[in-house]
Amino acid sequence: MHEMGIASSILEAVQKELLRYPGYRAAKVDVRIGAYAGVDAESLRFCFDAIVKDSPQAPLELAIEPGTGDELDFSSMEFEEVNA
Amino acid sequence: MISIPTERKVLNENDRLAAGIRKALEATHTLSLNFIGSPGAGKTGFLERTLRMLPAGTRAAVLTGDIQTENDAIRLARYGYPVRQITTAGACHLDARMVESHLIDWDLEGLDLLLIENVGNLVCPTSYDLGEDGKVVILSVAEGEDKPLKYPGIFRKAELMILSKTDLLPFVPFNAELACDCARSVHPDIEIIEASSMTGDGFGQWMDWLERRMQGKQILAEDFAAAIQ
Repeated sequence: MHEMGIASSILEAVQKELLRYPGYRAAKVDVRIGAYAGVDAESLRFCFDAIVKDSPQAPLELAIEPGTGDELDFSSMEFEEVNA
Repeated sequence: MISIPTERKVLNENDRLAAGIRKALEATHTLSLNFIGSPGAGKTGFLERTLRMLPAGTRAAVLTGDIQTENDAIRLARYGYPVRQITTAGACHLDARMVESHLIDWDLEGLDLLLIENVGNLVCPTSYDLGEDGKVVILSVAEGEDKPLKYPGIFRKAELMILSKTDLLPFVPFNAELACDCARSVHPDIEIIEASSMTGDGFGQWMDWLERRMQGKQILAEDFAAAIQ
């Protein structure tokens, strides 16, 4: 139900992290979601794709790995050089 | 391509704000509780009776969250304590930013108790730390006994479960013992109080619990003050 809010938080974090890497764009973001996090992976993916589509970050892949407990954490982000 | 390890919480920003709220409430010795339950579980009624029964001189305040309307704030404001409505305009939960912005000009120094009524929902509010001391989940006897199994997240995180509307027990097919067993199966240490906001049954036990937690917060605060002197 609040997956749209979570999706926005993920995209905002990527945008913030990108500021530290001038000349790069984000290709992929990895998150870990535990069974008790109260977040549905499919719904999160749907929301994330919907907001990324119209953002300057498109295309950006969301990778979801199973986590433990109520974990809802970033694990890594992959950035690639623009015009490389 | 470079890979950047970003080991941190997705809701990092929320958690940062929540930590700020927790620190502020720590400094003022204010006990804060986050009440979570389904729509219609009886959260507002439970808080109304609580406000009516607070010992004279208790300095309490209430934040109440809903998607729309000020109705709950109007109900809760009848007991003489400051009450503020948070209207989320669509969001299904309160987050730390909303709480922070609604606390902004309140004198926390003058508060012993901050009651936060979350938006009626058993899923999303679970993920958002509001800087509270504890979560209280309210489950009514008009719901299913197996709610704790269906929504384990909140029953795991709540330190206390209020089984509400017990005055309805003669009229509904609800097995209270089974509901408590379900709650304990996902959280063995959860405390449970059966209560009716209509008749006041169970409120003695609840007010004792609340007083104990408020005293605990005061003592912790005094220890802290002594330690830094």
